[in-house]
Amino acid sequence: NNHSERMRKFKNKGKDAAALRRQRAEVSIELRKAKKDEQILKRRSILFGLVDENLPLEEKRDEIIQLSLEEIVEAVNGSNTMLQLQATQATRRMLSRQKDPPINQIIELGIIPKLVEFLTRADNAPLQFEAAWALTNIASGTSDHTKAVVEGGAIPAFISLLSSPHMHISEQSVWALGNIAGDGPLYRDALINRNAIPPLLALVSPVTPVNNLHFLDLTAVGFLRNITWTLSNLCRNKNPYPPLDAVKKILPVLICLIEHEDKDIISDSCWAISYLTDGSNDRIQIVVDTGILPRLVELMARPELIIMTPALRAIGNVVTGTDEQTQAAIDAGVLAVLPHLLRHAKPTIQKEAAWALSNIAAGPCWQIQQLITCGLLPPLVELLDKGDFKAQKEAVWAVANFTTGGTVEQVVELVRSGTYSEDYLRPVTDARINTCLLGYLVSQAAEKLGETERLCLLVEELDGLEKIEALQTHDNNMVYRAALNIIEKYFSGE
Amino acid sequence: QRVLLLVASDVDALCACKILQALFQCDHVQYTLVPVSGWQELETAFLEHKDQFKYFVFINCGANVDLLEILQPEEDTFFFVCDSHRPINVVNVYNDTQIKLLVKQDDDLNVPAYDDIFRDEEDEEEDSENESDGSEPSEKRRRFEEDVIERTMKRRQRREWEARRREILFDYEQYEYHGTSSAMVMFDLAWIMSKDLNDMLWWAIVGLTDQWVQDKITQMKYVTDIGILQRHVSRHNHRNEDDENSLSIDCMRIAFEYDLRLALYQHWSLYESLCNTSYTSASLKLWSVQGQKRLQEFLADMGLPLKQVKQKFNSMDMSLKENLREMIEESANKFGMKDLRVQTFSIHFGFKNKFSASDIVYATASLMENIEKEGPETTNFIKALDSLSRGNLDKLHQGLDLAKKQLRAIQQTVASCICTNLVISQGPFLYCSLMEHICELSLCLLSKYLLKSFVCSTKNKRCKLLPLVMAAPMDVEQGTVIMVGIPPETESSDKKNFFGRAFEKAADSTNSRTLHNHFDMSIIELKTEDRSKFLDALISLLS
Repeated sequence: NNHSERMRKFKNKGKDAAALRRQRAEVSIELRKAKKDEQILKRRSILFGLVDENLPLEEKRDEIIQLSLEEIVEAVNGSNTMLQLQATQATRRMLSRQKDPPINQIIELGIIPKLVEFLTRADNAPLQFEAAWALTNIASGTSDHTKAVVEGGAIPAFISLLSSPHMHISEQSVWALGNIAGDGPLYRDALINRNAIPPLLALVSPVTPVNNLHFLDLTAVGFLRNITWTLSNLCRNKNPYPPLDAVKKILPVLICLIEHEDKDIISDSCWAISYLTDGSNDRIQIVVDTGILPRLVELMARPELIIMTPALRAIGNVVTGTDEQTQAAIDAGVLAVLPHLLRHAKPTIQKEAAWALSNIAAGPCWQIQQLITCGLLPPLVELLDKGDFKAQKEAVWAVANFTTGGTVEQVVELVRSGTYSEDYLRPVTDARINTCLLGYLVSQAAEKLGETERLCLLVEELDGLEKIEALQTHDNNMVYRAALNIIEKYFSGE
Repeated sequence: QRVLLLVASDVDALCACKILQALFQCDHVQYTLVPVSGWQELETAFLEHKDQFKYFVFINCGANVDLLEILQPEEDTFFFVCDSHRPINVVNVYNDTQIKLLVKQDDDLNVPAYDDIFRDEEDEEEDSENESDGSEPSEKRRRFEEDVIERTMKRRQRREWEARRREILFDYEQYEYHGTSSAMVMFDLAWIMSKDLNDMLWWAIVGLTDQWVQDKITQMKYVTDIGILQRHVSRHNHRNEDDENSLSIDCMRIAFEYDLRLALYQHWSLYESLCNTSYTSASLKLWSVQGQKRLQEFLADMGLPLKQVKQKFNSMDMSLKENLREMIEESANKFGMKDLRVQTFSIHFGFKNKFSASDIVYATASLMENIEKEGPETTNFIKALDSLSRGNLDKLHQGLDLAKKQLRAIQQTVASCICTNLVISQGPFLYCSLMEHICELSLCLLSKYLLKSFVCSTKNKRCKLLPLVMAAPMDVEQGTVIMVGIPPETESSDKKNFFGRAFEKAADSTNSRTLHNHFDMSIIELKTEDRSKFLDALISLLS
């Protein structure tokens, strides 16, 4: 039933080690779907570092040439280079207007192979750039749109353009490849198999030595943001995960990028790390081995949501791992930051923090002890008391895990802190949680304590008995039965 | 609500303070007075009192720095600033909540327009708004046309705007100078409220005269302001004009007059005054033997016996004194001293006591700087403040005696600097380093007198147009020197001083350990070891 299925996901003595930590499965899928729908409309503001004064933009704006779709096809397929450029530019301009870019119509013109061919015109940089931009915007659409670009042969062309001597063309290619990789595991791996990673990483490391990342000017920051985002897309998506050797190539560069001072670069690096840790324990181990955890914990404490959120996500993923991996996160100082996040104004942050906490509470008793020592119980109580509902649910799981894995003294400590009574004795709105917890927790706790008497006394001391009795009148049949069960089993002696 | 008065230690500030005190007394406003001689003292005083007070009045301090930045006041704290230091910091000008500036309406401040120096940070906010939600990055992104053009344009505009802003602020802050005397501003306030009294008017006159004695304002500005005050003087003192005999023992009377530009001569001997007034001493080059000879010739030309000239002015023969001013002016013209006559005011207390405005300035300033310290730091300040009250003739006379000593000392130092060629040309400016410690106010006065004398003594035409930097030991134990920069001494001088900014830059570029404690930017303290590299930087900066 529901209860035992949930149970299997806990880490506990004698349980299946692999199923111990709860992965964040449905939540993230939900999230991504929402994003996908939104993404086409949503405009991310990115500083465009490149197309700066190098391009005579104003001049161009003055002589905008209006071309019909037919004229575009004709010009693109013709032999006049000047006309080709004008047509490509007109195409690009249509595709980059804010409202309703005519992506489908452009694809139907059948000019994508021509645009891809223009990418190879090393003698005509403006043409290369316009084509790259147009293709980037086509690839930014639906999966079908991206597919059209890929099947036009754009992947190898863009990869070779990464090494273009013109920085703005190189950046546009990074962007295009980011859109292709973002489509899903299939195209992501297609890029990886085409060896896109080495030239991409080369844009970061050799020209700008790691230590000098901070000193890049603003132009380069825009470029670096695009690279970081594209790298994060190469780490993104499961089923399957990105190939291990690709991950191992990208990780060292991410470790450098995450030290950058630009918020967007830090944010996208964190997201990339969070994708890499959203997996099996051996995937987590690769990240832990880089020694990045202290930096992630530091970023978790940053006030900016765009940094805090992915850093917390990444650390949350790490503590779903083995006891040793969890300990690494604890050693990095995660317990000092979590109390603030549990009290954060934003419900999603509370929830993520409580989720991480519940997974640490699922650890062995010495880790539970660290929770107590670091003062995690008071914010936990507050969360149960008045937190956001979804966060409350996570907090209840934290208490459940705590009870299961903790020693007698630790459970007594928990009871004293007010968590216990507030938690499972209060009429929680979610009857399901209520039920499974009621039955499970009391029996677990009591039996583990081996001192049913003592627990019963504690419960009575805290007016718990009255609350349980009140629950016998609960509308939900299961709640009623669980409450009855408890009373019969433990308090019937009186 | 009790008010805290923070008052700088210059005579104009004291006069403004006296007027404000009288106004407070009229309105039964309670206040606490704290004298501050520099930024450090001001900060300390603010920190000490910020919990008890919500209203602070700054007199002759505070206008030329960003007060909110420096003092970090609570939001319910208000600063009223009456300060002649210019340029006024632009943040102070445009803060319309916590900072209230007392400025004369017709003062030309030349403050840059708001839009030229402040800009709403909308663009940046727009960005962060979109991104601050912490959601996962999108998987694909389209590149928008508008973005590129807009952002490029915006960025270019922003860069241009910032460059223009730097230029505007540089122009605005480049020169330090003084606006209308704070005492005059304060008197205007009293007048607008119809609470102006003859005493207040006198303090306004002394405040303005202080600016003139300290050479802080142009001749033009001085004459204009004298005109303004003269109207007030005739308004307040007309009743007594018809009938001199109505003057009673406890009455005071202010009169406008053309007087001699000779320091303290009515309380000294004419001879001493001629020797120790910067104008005459420089014009006659009294530090040299020829100079002394020229003085004898000058006296002979006037037909004044040496015996009479050297005795107390009060005891001079009445017959000689009658046409004295005209005689002196006439001879002075022959000796190239065309500006010996000045427009000023004098005050009569009862029958016996008559003082010219500049007498009061010299006396008050020397009381404030009295080295023979009696009691705590503030004693001198309070004494100087008291000497401005009509009933305190004792203190005033004590001040006059001190002032004579100081003027004598300054003239001696000037003479020895000139005679030993201590003033050297460093290229873009003249430089003179003293071996002995000297008080701040006196150092400023000394620098100005020295420069005047040097300009008269040198034959090098280029050197006549140079500004002067003067250094003197400050604290021997801590190994610090004080440095003062003053603008060139020319006829048409606008009294604008660029040394404040120049000192700042020179210190920055050499990492010199400087302390900018004085309310004038052109006075700094410096570690003695850093002096030579600082000067080198200053030379290359101004060359």
